[in-house]
Amino acid sequence: MSAALLLAGLATLGAAPERDYPERDYYVYVTAESADEVYLVHFDGQRAAVAQRIDVGYLPTEIEGPHGLTVDPDGSHWYLTMAHGKPFGILYKYTTGDNELVGQVELGLFPATMQISTATGLLYCVNFDLHGDMAPSTVSIVDPEEMVEVARTETGPMPHGSRISPDGLRHYSCAMMTDELFEIDAASFEVTRSMHLDDGTGGVAPRGPDGHHAAVTKPTWVYPHPTRPFVYVCLNGAAQVVEVDLDQWRITRRFPTAKGPYNVEVTPDGKRIVVSYKGAASVGIWDLEKGQELARIPTTRRVTHGVVISPDSRFAFVSNEGIGGEKGTLDVIDLGSLERAATVDLGLQAGGIIFWKVEDRSNGRIDR
Amino acid sequence: MQRTGGRPSRRSVWIPILSSIATLAVAAPAAPAQDPEEAPPERKLEVEPTQLELQVGDKAKLVARVVDGEGQVLEEEVFFFSRGRRSVTVDKEGNVEALAPGSFTIVVRTRRARRSDNDQQSRALLGERLTATVSVTILPPPLERIELAEPVEGVFAGTSSTLIVSAFDVNGGARPEAAVKLTSSDPRVASFDPFGQLLAHAPGTITAVAEAQGLRTELALNVLPNPVASLALAADADTARTGDVLHFEVTASDAAGATVTGVPVLLTFLARPDDDLGAPASGQIEPDGRFVAETPGIYTVVATCGAATARTSVRIEPRNVGGKLELVGRGEVFDTHTSDLWVWEGVDGRDYAVTGTWSANGDAHFWDVTDPTKIERIKTITVDARTVNDVKVSQNGRTCVISREGASNRKNGIVIIDVTNPREAAIVGTFDENLTGGVHNVFVDQDKVYALSAGRRYDVIDIADPTQPVAIGKFELDTPGHSIHDVWVEDGLAFSSNWGDGVQIVDVGNGIREGSPANPAQVASYAYPSGRNHAAFPYTNEETGRFYVVAGDEAFPYGLHVKDKPTYPRGWLHFIDFTDLDEPQEVARYEVPEAGSHNLWIEGDLCYAAFYNGGVRVVDISGELLGDLYRQGREIAWFIPSDAEGYIPNASMVWGPQPYKGNIFFSDWNTGLWCVKLVRKGDGR
Repeated sequence: MSAALLLAGLATLGAAPERDYPERDYYVYVTAESADEVYLVHFDGQRAAVAQRIDVGYLPTEIEGPHGLTVDPDGSHWYLTMAHGKPFGILYKYTTGDNELVGQVELGLFPATMQISTATGLLYCVNFDLHGDMAPSTVSIVDPEEMVEVARTETGPMPHGSRISPDGLRHYSCAMMTDELFEIDAASFEVTRSMHLDDGTGGVAPRGPDGHHAAVTKPTWVYPHPTRPFVYVCLNGAAQVVEVDLDQWRITRRFPTAKGPYNVEVTPDGKRIVVSYKGAASVGIWDLEKGQELARIPTTRRVTHGVVISPDSRFAFVSNEGIGGEKGTLDVIDLGSLERAATVDLGLQAGGIIFWKVEDRSNGRIDR
Repeated sequence: MQRTGGRPSRRSVWIPILSSIATLAVAAPAAPAQDPEEAPPERKLEVEPTQLELQVGDKAKLVARVVDGEGQVLEEEVFFFSRGRRSVTVDKEGNVEALAPGSFTIVVRTRRARRSDNDQQSRALLGERLTATVSVTILPPPLERIELAEPVEGVFAGTSSTLIVSAFDVNGGARPEAAVKLTSSDPRVASFDPFGQLLAHAPGTITAVAEAQGLRTELALNVLPNPVASLALAADADTARTGDVLHFEVTASDAAGATVTGVPVLLTFLARPDDDLGAPASGQIEPDGRFVAETPGIYTVVATCGAATARTSVRIEPRNVGGKLELVGRGEVFDTHTSDLWVWEGVDGRDYAVTGTWSANGDAHFWDVTDPTKIERIKTITVDARTVNDVKVSQNGRTCVISREGASNRKNGIVIIDVTNPREAAIVGTFDENLTGGVHNVFVDQDKVYALSAGRRYDVIDIADPTQPVAIGKFELDTPGHSIHDVWVEDGLAFSSNWGDGVQIVDVGNGIREGSPANPAQVASYAYPSGRNHAAFPYTNEETGRFYVVAGDEAFPYGLHVKDKPTYPRGWLHFIDFTDLDEPQEVARYEVPEAGSHNLWIEGDLCYAAFYNGGVRVVDISGELLGDLYRQGREIAWFIPSDAEGYIPNASMVWGPQPYKGNIFFSDWNTGLWCVKLVRKGDGR
């Protein structure tokens, strides 16, 4: 870490300087994976607070593991994946207003991250299946209107980071255990392309007893640029975020990060990426044009998990798991001052996170 | 004797209900719109046909297109998907195949036609997708034949019996749900009651007729004269206690006094309870003559066959097995929920216990319980987990294995602890290979660990060297959506509880199926409809030689309150007679009203059962078992723990019991470790 970055991080530990607080109310949902809870958090520009805690799941004495969250494009419903069932996981559908459960459908083993395509109206969810056997898993494709699974597309082992292109026509996910990036046609449900995500050293991992190369880069997340033909992929095992040019279908830039980059999101204005460093208890903010890390900000718990960014590109919301009996937390990062603006305690192993809406208090405008 | 009709199959036909192309979608603007101010032209999605009626195996073709306001076809792609893909499939060309009966919907949709501005706000705006639906009705294959068979023993006047009715469809599949109407050609000789039971009134011949879906099958039946002129009825005892199983034997004789066999005899009973102040007099009698009563009194069993009857009465006394559980000592845990426990004799001859914790900090607490009136917490091991759901100790008292769920690295697995000196218990090994989905329960048998993996199977792990655990085998069902909750090993047999797949008995070294820990071999299984099988414990009754597996439910129909207020679970213990491994029979239950079962332990003829909010219960399970053990007065004692300082105050949630050296230890979810002692009264048998 450079001295400048260190200073930026250390600055967050001291008293926060005066900020220009927006007159807006931000809302995010966050899961507590080891408590079977989901939290709705309200941030008013200065302070973050739990607006509601929602108990989820159907096996009361077992940890079912709420993992992934998404909100549908019109903001009327949020969706939650539960990792474990008997044995398959379940996708739940709740209303965003009163957080009422209105539908559910069983998917595969450990359904995890997901998103709804505005082009097809369908929800695409990876079945993470980290339960041991490293066989190729699938992407479940769900009609969220009726909550029925309409197709399953096989990709690679332990798929994660399920995200849709801005036009809604392509789905991207990573196979953690084979270092692959997959692209699926959102309408035909077929894999259209895949790519090996190496660490840039030219080396190849030795083959294991099963004849396969061991995963080296362990990609955990992929996020499309909002306006340009790129996706950004976290190579968790290689401490890199890579930029993949979708037109050329190759890696065009590498960003060396702190240990364990886990989630990445591009700011809606397309200028920055925010990366959660799961192995370094911090979050990195990068300038995309310069390819430069602007700040590395410590998080309030040891295991940093997910990140979402407000539509105004002003704040990043970062979930932090903690370890054992530590409460999870949500940190709000001011992307203007590059400082932590607020923190709120949540339940055990705060992980999955999704932005719901921002309301402008001056004119009532709502953005998602 | 049997005639069977039929009708031809209607395979490979689809019927477009509407012959014309239908417009199903609301008109929407076409794409792309060059000028936002300009009203885009109208678009419509047309699909043909709009409804399909198919039979299983049929195929059809959907044709869809997008047209403008003038009816001109636009170059816009559509895609298809089925909302019932396991019953009806559709490919990207619109080819439909019917797989299973029912009513389903196929969706035809355009992709959003216009690419909106590429910012997060406009991505949230739904595009101008056009959607149409096609209703698909898939009819079950038509019946092809109905088969009728008379009872093996024949039909005798003055008795009732049930014909064997089987319906099959054109694919040869059995159709037990088919509504088959039964009638008799001569009701004076024999008739069918509304439930399909054949009532034979007099000797003679009838034609039994079975009809369904236009098919008709006839069976000529000869109602034989009933040879039984008299019945004799005897019980194996004339007095018994509530819950004791008596056996009534019927002897039928003809007019000459010769014994008659094979003629059905109906058994029933009358009751005169001692307590006649509104008390019930429930009992149960089986067709084979087994009888059990729940209430003291005089019971008269009646046998009838044609005109012959016999009766005999027995005296039922109170079971009188009462007792009480007295508190001996406690090991309080108020700061977290407590999970399972294990009590063992250490290598130093002292007695120890270990308890887990639930949704907390990954703690396992070790206790010295040598003097159970002064239980002492001597050590806490903390691992990276939120729940240490299960704790077990090897028979030699040296190795403890605990399960992990909610590890921060999501690898979970098991943790191996050297408890040679429990006061200095220390982690000596971990193992998470293929156990990353979380380990909910474990069992330790000698140097093998049976660990559940992600609720799907159990893996067998050799811990002969606890610092180098090695997976050597696994057992997993192949049923759809199979899952598992717990496993217990005894005499080389693994008894697992598998929710909807019920109890599974697997040879892991017993030899009955040549199984071993490395090669588990299934022996027997039994599932019950509720799918709540959560625990399983084997029990051989020394008196009768019968072999049971007691299967415990777990059910939270009213939810689980993890903070602030008590919980009200439900569920009971199922007693499954596995004496004949190929024909297990569920014969009895133990259900505590208003409470729910959890873990259990059987020692001798006593069952120690954790019933969550109902506390811990001790039940007499001696002798043959039949019916409702609770109502038979077999419960000996109960103890409901609670504490105003508990994690949830004043809320009993007993997790699991273990009898040990004359005491009963149990863990309670809200208060920790308890020790009670059973004090018998009555005959104490």
